[in-house]
Amino acid sequence: MVVGFLLLLLMPSSRSATSISVVDGNVVVGEMGEMLQLRKRGRRRRGHVSLLTCVVGFLFLCQVSRLAAAAVLHRHQRISGSAGDVLEDNPVGRLKVFVYELPSKYNKDWLEKDPRCLTHMFAAEEFVHDFLLTSPVRTHNPKEADWFYTPVYTTCDLMPNGLPLPFKSPRIMRSVISYISTHWPYWNRTEGADHFFVVPHDFGACFHYQEEKAIERGVLPLLKHATLVQTFGQNHHVCLKEGSIVVPPYAPPEKMQSRFIPPSTPRSIFVYFRGLFYDVGNDPEGGYYARGARAAVWENFKDNPLFDISTQHPSTYYEDMQRAIYCLCPLGWAPWSPRLVEGVIFGCIPVIIADDIVLPFADAIPWEKIGVFVAEKDVPNLDKILSSISPEQVLEKQRLLANPAMKQAMLFSQPALPGDAFHQILNGLARKLPHDPHIYLEPGQMVLNWTEGPVGDLKPW
Amino acid sequence: MKKVTGSSHRLARMRSKNRSGFNSEQASETSSRLMPVSHFRVFIQCMFCIGTLILGFRLTTESSFLKASFQNPEASFTRISARTDSSASTGTESQFDLQLRREFANGSKGSRLAYNGTIVHSSGGVRVDVGRHAILIRPWPHPDPFEVLHAHHLIKRVQLEQQQLYGSKESKPIIAITTTFVRTFQAVHLTGLLHTLSVIPVPVTWIVMEAGGVTNETAHFLSLAHVHRLLHLGFDIPMPAGLNERSKLEAQMRVEGLRYVQKEKLEGVVVFADEGNIHSLEFFTEAQKVEWVGAVSVGLLGFAGFEESPQSGIVHVHDGRVEARGNHILLAARQAAAAPRFEPQVQGPACDSNGNLIGWHIFDPLPLEGEVHKGMRAAQNRRLEWANFVLNARAVWKTEGNQPEWIRSWDEWANPEDGSTPDIKAIVRSDQWVKVLGNCGRKVLLWWLRAEARADSKHPNKWILDESLEIIVPAKSTPWPRRPVRRAAPPPPAPAGGTGMKHGAGSRVSSGKVRRPKRKQDQTNVS
Repeated sequence: MVVGFLLLLLMPSSRSATSISVVDGNVVVGEMGEMLQLRKRGRRRRGHVSLLTCVVGFLFLCQVSRLAAAAVLHRHQRISGSAGDVLEDNPVGRLKVFVYELPSKYNKDWLEKDPRCLTHMFAAEEFVHDFLLTSPVRTHNPKEADWFYTPVYTTCDLMPNGLPLPFKSPRIMRSVISYISTHWPYWNRTEGADHFFVVPHDFGACFHYQEEKAIERGVLPLLKHATLVQTFGQNHHVCLKEGSIVVPPYAPPEKMQSRFIPPSTPRSIFVYFRGLFYDVGNDPEGGYYARGARAAVWENFKDNPLFDISTQHPSTYYEDMQRAIYCLCPLGWAPWSPRLVEGVIFGCIPVIIADDIVLPFADAIPWEKIGVFVAEKDVPNLDKILSSISPEQVLEKQRLLANPAMKQAMLFSQPALPGDAFHQILNGLARKLPHDPHIYLEPGQMVLNWTEGPVGDLKPW
Repeated sequence: MKKVTGSSHRLARMRSKNRSGFNSEQASETSSRLMPVSHFRVFIQCMFCIGTLILGFRLTTESSFLKASFQNPEASFTRISARTDSSASTGTESQFDLQLRREFANGSKGSRLAYNGTIVHSSGGVRVDVGRHAILIRPWPHPDPFEVLHAHHLIKRVQLEQQQLYGSKESKPIIAITTTFVRTFQAVHLTGLLHTLSVIPVPVTWIVMEAGGVTNETAHFLSLAHVHRLLHLGFDIPMPAGLNERSKLEAQMRVEGLRYVQKEKLEGVVVFADEGNIHSLEFFTEAQKVEWVGAVSVGLLGFAGFEESPQSGIVHVHDGRVEARGNHILLAARQAAAAPRFEPQVQGPACDSNGNLIGWHIFDPLPLEGEVHKGMRAAQNRRLEWANFVLNARAVWKTEGNQPEWIRSWDEWANPEDGSTPDIKAIVRSDQWVKVLGNCGRKVLLWWLRAEARADSKHPNKWILDESLEIIVPAKSTPWPRRPVRRAAPPPPAPAGGTGMKHGAGSRVSSGKVRRPKRKQDQTNVS
């Protein structure tokens, strides 16, 4: 009996559960048969039995001590990144950034034309420029610079409804690169390998909002060697270049920080989501938008009282998020969404439903420990998945989320605070130093093909 | 959508009905992949036609559904596939083809039959396809009670942790004193209050004083409350109609409640939880901090003077922090995006910058247009509400209270010799001993909803009509006048029929919403 009990302990629980449920009596009998057979060989296994009990006892003691340690744990837990505790690194002194002085048609004119660029979710490009102008890592001497920043606002050409049009962005980028390559020698020195650009649009430097067209275009050929700071991140995707830094979308920090409710307010919503499930305007039949995942969430859980999901955006959206345990962050037309940032700020565990997504600052933030990842094909079982997470794990995740360093890392705070998203970008850039000496080309050696790309991109801007 | 659920119902029925027929079809379908498709398809079509004629409904979708359910768990989800690749031909053949193609496509990933759109090929790992995807729905998309139970355990555990981390360390019991009386809006106010008091994490003793004696209606509401201890006491004087007199009677009732506290020597924090008040849970945690006498700010709702109020002070409810920045473009944009502020009327303590109490904000309502009760201004006679104050229960004890000497004794303040109404502020000899709660009065922790029905409005007992209405009168011609004029004789009969306002224990209301034929005998009831 002891052997059988230990075997049951060591057997993976899921397998035994499914086997018993599907077929009525057969598999159980099979297991019992196994146990009977083993008991016959019990004498040989008595040594193994004592070893097993030792192991089990040791594990039990480990559990007890861990639980005791957890009880002593404070309100929040330190975040250890996969590369060590890099979240709190200070980039000052580790790198130098030279900011190109560009004519205002590339940056300020866009802002004056449409100041909405400062509040929409692509505003990171403006705020990074703002930050670098006054940052201690900025240097006015390009000879000692490690990285070169080009402040061009490619996502500021807004339609009347506020969404950016990416059609001119490739031409703008070509124009600015030809400008910096003719006015400064540093682009031609490395063909852009020590330059970085902020491209926060839907699919990064593919400069299109539709995924198929973006994949067709690919990353702009001139940016082949440059480092891209973008919000889009998906594994095995053309629009995520190797070595890119994935950042969170911009969310206005004051707006969110003014809407905190007392943390003692009990979290009574189980799952919270507000947003579209079907994009009726662009995808009336369903199946394209969000790869059908959002529609699946709606169809499966629209009558589930645990799921507070709806398309109506209430004015208490931020307050409701603080009263929820899980916040769904499914993909939309692009895999990233500002809900991740909002969930982290408000302490709501993000449930990320986007296959192959690369989350912001993935080398500094251990997202698997903080959020819950659900594959798109598992969406119909979402309630089972979420309710089967043990309370200890949930509390652990909440403790990690409560860490102020975590919240700080997601925000583009004004003025810049240590540990915020700007510093994480600089940390990421600093981690890529020192540059590989192979990036420095011989004078006259050309690697980039300036005539590559669709014909429409070659028109000057 | 309906087709999907309908097919699952039909499947359940079919399973119970016809098992043997299915096995043959399954066998035939598995063999269909081996034999040449064209010959066998005709044979299958004939079988399905015959089967359809016998059973009376289409067989194709259910059969492939059943097949799929034994194949792999993934394909057991019903798939809503949009009509992308439906051919023009109708009939069972195309349906069957569609089903088979769909299942085949699901079996082998990367097939281009079911998806139209480019497929991203990459070196390895998981590929995510661009293009139309199926919307996965599980066979029974409704909540599973066991999972709901698990989820609720999880929520409870999280809330316990929250309370341990962020909740107040002290847990003095709360004694809530409420005055009520039976009236139209009693249900509205009392239900809200009872739910608030039921969720406070500390033990609550709720003392309800009812004007006009204990009634069943109020008792019915109070039975819904989950409080540690409930006391429903009656006060024999009925509630008068005028607001002045009402406030006087309420003060007397509250004193009675305090007398009960004194008699039973209850311990804890005394809170004057009026019916029309909306309390935040933070109020009860702040109230724990009181030593002897505390003051909180009460906001006023349901009142027209929202925009600017010269009398009362301005209290910023939402504090948006706007910091000065050098870059002027950003500053301009941020100011434009700042949230608009609204200044509500607030009554309560006023502090200086050091956090000392220097005065009180009192509101003086402007006379509202067309307001019936002209006597309202006089009612707000520059006194603070009882709800502004929070007491330590020992402050009202007669003996063994160990009150400091700056708290007046019970006989001094609760029974004034000149017969004036007792004022709660009189319990302290001077303002300096009052502890200001809620971030020195800046945080409004409770709101006073000043919404009442007319004094003569009727409502059915428990808001349930036991019997059908005898007389229905259209709303346009209700006999109730706009002004509370006392009528000696009944009003002239309305065009739709006689009016009957029955006064009695179970007072009924004649509402004009429902049209019903009037009955002859009702004419005689008009008195």
